[in-house]
Amino acid sequence: MISLQDLVSEVKNLQPIPAVAGQLLAVADNPDSSMADIAQVIQYDPVITASVLRTCNSAYFGMKHPVESIKDAVNLLGIDQVIELALIKSGSRALGGSQKGYGLEEGDMWKYSVSSAILARQVAGRLALKGKNTIFTAALIKDMGKIVLEKYVSDAAHKISDLVENKHFSFQEAEKKALGIDHAELGALIAKMWKFSPRMVNIIRHHHLSDETKSTDQQIAAVYLADCLCMMLGGGVGSDGLAYRFKDQVMKDLGISAVDMSLIIAEFGINMQEVETLLQMA
Amino acid sequence: MKQIVGVADMKVSNNPGESIITYSLGSCIGLVIYDPVVKVGGMLHYMLPDSSIDKNKAAARPYMFADSGIPRLFKSAYQLGAAKQRMKVYVAGGAEILDQQGFFNIGKRNYMALKKLFFKNKVMISQQDVGGNVNRTVRIEIATGDIYVKTSGSGEVKI
Repeated sequence: MISLQDLVSEVKNLQPIPAVAGQLLAVADNPDSSMADIAQVIQYDPVITASVLRTCNSAYFGMKHPVESIKDAVNLLGIDQVIELALIKSGSRALGGSQKGYGLEEGDMWKYSVSSAILARQVAGRLALKGKNTIFTAALIKDMGKIVLEKYVSDAAHKISDLVENKHFSFQEAEKKALGIDHAELGALIAKMWKFSPRMVNIIRHHHLSDETKSTDQQIAAVYLADCLCMMLGGGVGSDGLAYRFKDQVMKDLGISAVDMSLIIAEFGINMQEVETLLQMA
Repeated sequence: MKQIVGVADMKVSNNPGESIITYSLGSCIGLVIYDPVVKVGGMLHYMLPDSSIDKNKAAARPYMFADSGIPRLFKSAYQLGAAKQRMKVYVAGGAEILDQQGFFNIGKRNYMALKKLFFKNKVMISQQDVGGNVNRTVRIEIATGDIYVKTSGSGEVKI
């Protein structure tokens, strides 16, 4: 078992997600916020601002005139796209790199995270859910517990794979059994230490729905479903593979049919180019 | 030279210096065909069983679906001189999440769509590695027809 104290000190050594992400969510998902409020929050972080502007000026967007401020970017791309770009830029440093304990090579986790976030946006859009930026961000950062847990998973690899292959454990259940904590719980702890909202902490903790009663929470359900779809699509998946539990109840609670699920996958197939572009620019 | 088959994509080759690879098959299916006489190989990576759910997307991306992608893969190999009766057929992927049932089990449905099409067209599968909860990467060498599979977390194995 790992001591909580050890984990906390390791989290303190991580490259954190910049505070602007949490502040941005607070204004972006508040219906009373204006575009100026949102632009102001982003501008407060010069690194994220520069990075967003660099992306806006890349060939991908094909702008005729240089985009020189967040206000320009909002006018040209729309507020939703600028918020998403800022959130993606915020996550890229923390979630880049490799997590060998999970069989993830350099960039795999980042690819998976961005793909999950785009799928979550599709799910939220299709169901017209509230808090779409919170859902997008939760899907983007939900696996950050793996960044710390990977070396412990690596040390316990035999035990974990025995539990998964021979004893019908899901990978998350095996983490919990072997290490005393799973990546979802640890991710929630990290989000808490980085001062994300209780809402975000809660979504991250329950993103595999080990507590099935949480499926009535639409934001949790949307992030969970996006994660399942992302696993099925396969890009950036590690040695944990698809060894997580699928809960039919979520589909009922969200009111999503098997055809809806296929349509989301097909739409993502068309959006794949966007994922690749975002990955290259991050 | 390595030809990469993306998601909802297909490649054929008769260049003995080439291999064709597709990465990270989850519930998607990687279908590999090879004619050892003319040394023509092809690979398809499709995502969904049935194009009828969205005709527009099927027209734009025929390789996204089993029913629109599989016939195109075979026809493209025929154009390079391959013949149906000599074709070796290998299938990988179709993985599922634990407890994933019935209609929501896209991996199983992807595989069933292929089986149905093969039954109708009298195509036999030579070998396969489908289902389970693992992620697979598949590669074929055109010169030899040798096929290699890498499962998430372990090394590449020749099948």
